[in-house]
Amino acid sequence: MSYLNVSSLCVDFLTENGSVKAVNDISFEMKKGETFGIIGESGSGKSVIGQAILRLLPSNAVVNGSISFGAEDLLSLDNKNMRQIRGREISLIPQNPAGSLNPLLKNKIQVAEVFEVMGVNKKEGIKSVLGMLKNLLMKEPARILENHPHELSGGMKQRFLAAMCLSYKPSLLIADEPTKGLDSFSKKGTLDLFRHMKGEHGNSILVITHDLDFALEICDRVAVMYAGQIVEVGPVTDILQIPSHPYTKALLNALPRNGLIPLHGHTPSRIDLPDGCLFYTRCNLRSDKCGTERPATKSIKGGVVRCHLY
Amino acid sequence: MTGKIFRRKDMTISILLLALLVVVAISYPLLALSDPNAIDLTNKNLAPSAEHPLGTDYLGRDILNRLAAGTTTSLSIAAGVSAISLFVGVLIGCISGYYGGIIDETLSRIIDIFLSFPGIVFALAIMGFLGGGVINLILALSVVHWAKYARLMRGQVLSIKENEYVLSAKIIGAGDFHIMRKHLIPNSVATVIILATIDIGHVLLSIAALNFLGIGLPADIPEWGAMLSAGKEFMRTSPYQTIFPGMAITMVVIIFSIIGEGLRDIFDPNDTGGEYL
Amino acid sequence: MAITLFAVFALTFFLMNVVPGGTSEMILKHTFIGLEESATQEQLAQFSEIYNLNDPLYIQFIDWLKGGIFEGDLGMSFVYHKPVLDLLLLRLPATIILALSSMAIAVVGGVSLGIYAALKENKTADHLLRFLTLFGVSMPGFWVGLILILIFSVYLKMVPVAGYGSLENLILPAFALSIHSLASIMRITRTSMLETLGQDYIKFATSKGLSVNKIISRHALKNAMLPVVTVLGFQMGAMLGGSVIIETVFAWPGIGSLLVNSIFARDLYVVQACIIVIVFLFLIVNFIVDLVYIYLDPRIRYG
Ligand SMILES: Nc1ncnc2c1ncn2[C@@H]1O[C@H](COP(=O)(O)OP(=O)(O)O)[C@@H](O)[C@H]1O
Ligand code: SF4
Ligand SMILES: [Mg+2]
Repeated sequence: MSYLNVSSLCVDFLTENGSVKAVNDISFEMKKGETFGIIGESGSGKSVIGQAILRLLPSNAVVNGSISFGAEDLLSLDNKNMRQIRGREISLIPQNPAGSLNPLLKNKIQVAEVFEVMGVNKKEGIKSVLGMLKNLLMKEPARILENHPHELSGGMKQRFLAAMCLSYKPSLLIADEPTKGLDSFSKKGTLDLFRHMKGEHGNSILVITHDLDFALEICDRVAVMYAGQIVEVGPVTDILQIPSHPYTKALLNALPRNGLIPLHGHTPSRIDLPDGCLFYTRCNLRSDKCGTERPATKSIKGGVVRCHLY
Repeated sequence: MTGKIFRRKDMTISILLLALLVVVAISYPLLALSDPNAIDLTNKNLAPSAEHPLGTDYLGRDILNRLAAGTTTSLSIAAGVSAISLFVGVLIGCISGYYGGIIDETLSRIIDIFLSFPGIVFALAIMGFLGGGVINLILALSVVHWAKYARLMRGQVLSIKENEYVLSAKIIGAGDFHIMRKHLIPNSVATVIILATIDIGHVLLSIAALNFLGIGLPADIPEWGAMLSAGKEFMRTSPYQTIFPGMAITMVVIIFSIIGEGLRDIFDPNDTGGEYL
Repeated sequence: MAITLFAVFALTFFLMNVVPGGTSEMILKHTFIGLEESATQEQLAQFSEIYNLNDPLYIQFIDWLKGGIFEGDLGMSFVYHKPVLDLLLLRLPATIILALSSMAIAVVGGVSLGIYAALKENKTADHLLRFLTLFGVSMPGFWVGLILILIFSVYLKMVPVAGYGSLENLILPAFALSIHSLASIMRITRTSMLETLGQDYIKFATSKGLSVNKIISRHALKNAMLPVVTVLGFQMGAMLGGSVIIETVFAWPGIGSLLVNSIFARDLYVVQACIIVIVFLFLIVNFIVDLVYIYLDPRIRYG
């Protein structure tokens, strides 16, 4: 049974220079209890997907396609019902911890809002957050709540945001770049945190990251994105051992442990997309057809791939 | 660049209007069609008519004629003020930012002091004791306006003086004057000029205000603020001599702020400087 | 601030004294015997003696400063023959009342319209308000004053043309003085509100499931106010400057009209004192604004 179902999602941003195709015909589904990863280099459209699910995109975004969550069609839900879903059902740990906390409000006020939304007694709520912050390896949680955001380090902000989002006990947690900007020690902490979350709540987690190792470590299945499209979806073990798409292969080859083989060239402009495969200019397995005809997604064993080779 | 400017309808219209005003301002005194000071007491305080499109004032002088002549006064004085205060402001800001240290501290303090006077009060006091006249008015308003440009210029210079081309010019042994003239000023003056364009509106308002108070120009120079001031005595019976000069001032100020703010939007989209004035 | 204030004192004093209109002979002619007459040596000596104009300038300056700081003695008015301080104290309340009421109108009106325009971004109401602000910042305040008099006093006969003492008298001058600041504050509020609404913490607050009203009242308002607060000091300065003219239009008995009259009368010490008072008020307001800013922004509070 699919639980989150994104189908033919397209997001265009209308800008002065033209319409930017940030997300271009994306479909994937998540099952209950699954940890699903979206990986791809920066700018490939990962965060836009996360924000489209919660309808957080700015007003210049044009969204098409459909996103269903359980029985709800998220893109056609009215604002009031959408608000019921935000936080409580689907919670998003944002990608920019430093900018995502209001600099003028005490941390405590920002946490208390979570319980205000859930209709839980604030005192008890705060108590549970204190426990959670301790679990997240934060010293002096009580003092942290009395602080303002600028008094926390980057890693602390990250964990503080995570604690807030986890307090909802959401059935779907979206984590956008949970390891961005962290040193290896904090990365390890984050990894532990996510393992712990998987075990504890049995809820679904959508991990959005450009950190391949982290995704491969934590996810059950991953989708690989390139220039606004999903090029391959499959179980982590398959992706790791028998990657199908040339781009996925290139990504893996670029990992330090695989010899750091760099991928040359640039991603195409997102305003004037080429007719053929978006990876054409950088692909070493391309044929003439790839330059003129855009490949469609095909089902292969265990997943899908978007490439003329299959 | 010009394409960007003329793609904006408001800017295109404003620039055309400004061009028209400049033509009026330059040609009006040269053409000398009719004397804006010609008194005709038989036709005083008239409402607009075919003969006097905007009516006449309390001495029977044609209001449109005087408004047109006032364009010359206001625009030439504003141009003088902008030129002098830009020159002084750019020079002092540049020296202050470039040399740093005690020179910078002293100059910055001086700039701060000039900025801590509400401009119009300062100009008023200077004018009060210098006495009226075109030159005095230009001087008084320049004293008030240069500091703003100096502060902006100083900031610009501080941010570009560490650039490679400046450093390398220094290493080659280029003189300070050369560096300022060839590198610092050309690379930072645009922002200051944009501020000055927006600021011309403020200069025009100050000119009108001082003349309204009667501390600006001699009575025989037609000026909008002075027209308003004289006209207000006759507001009950003949409001046109109060209404039209004010509309003229408002229109010209609007033209400059549209052009100035438009330029700012185009050249430094991230800067909101002018709105804080 | 002390240095700035001292410099302002010095600048004002020397400026007033070195300009051609500032010599004792000119003042004497101007205030006592008429411009056409020539002053006799005796008259000049007597005048200079009474008003302490004999010493070299810097001694005069030091005396003036000493008197002002230690004895509250800012000299004598040539015109009113009264201590300058008494005149100032008499006039100060009117200016403060006018400036504060205008500031209140400008802040309340500017902030609420600015927020409204931001929330209606690019809708008709927003375009209309932005069009009006263009006029607001471009119309000369004294002209607005005159037009208000024309409409509300001359035609509608709702309020008296000028006067002092009742709320009716205050409305028109306060409004005329506020209009420029109201428009600028509205613009800044709109810009700052839009910028705030685009911040990531607003997005996160939305993703938390908060209502739009909560998001705006708790997360956007205070933050959007920071840039507005920073310009309040400047706006207050502009308002004090504008009050000089508005007070003259409405015959409002404040420092501003005193200044203008004293300039015409070459009443040197009064002019100096008025400028000092206006600058002083301006510096105080800026000081208060800094305190408010520190209170609002914890990032500054803790250094
Ligand atoms: N508000 C916006 N306006 C215009 N383009 C945007 C906007 N937000 C994102 N984009 C574009 O969408 C693409 C995808 O962005 P994003 O999803 O943030 O990438 P990432 O995969 O790094 O999370 C990028 O090319 C970016 O430039
Ligand atoms: S479709 Fe062609 S160009 Fe694109 S990835 Fe596959 S082989 Fe390479
Ligand atoms: Mg991202």
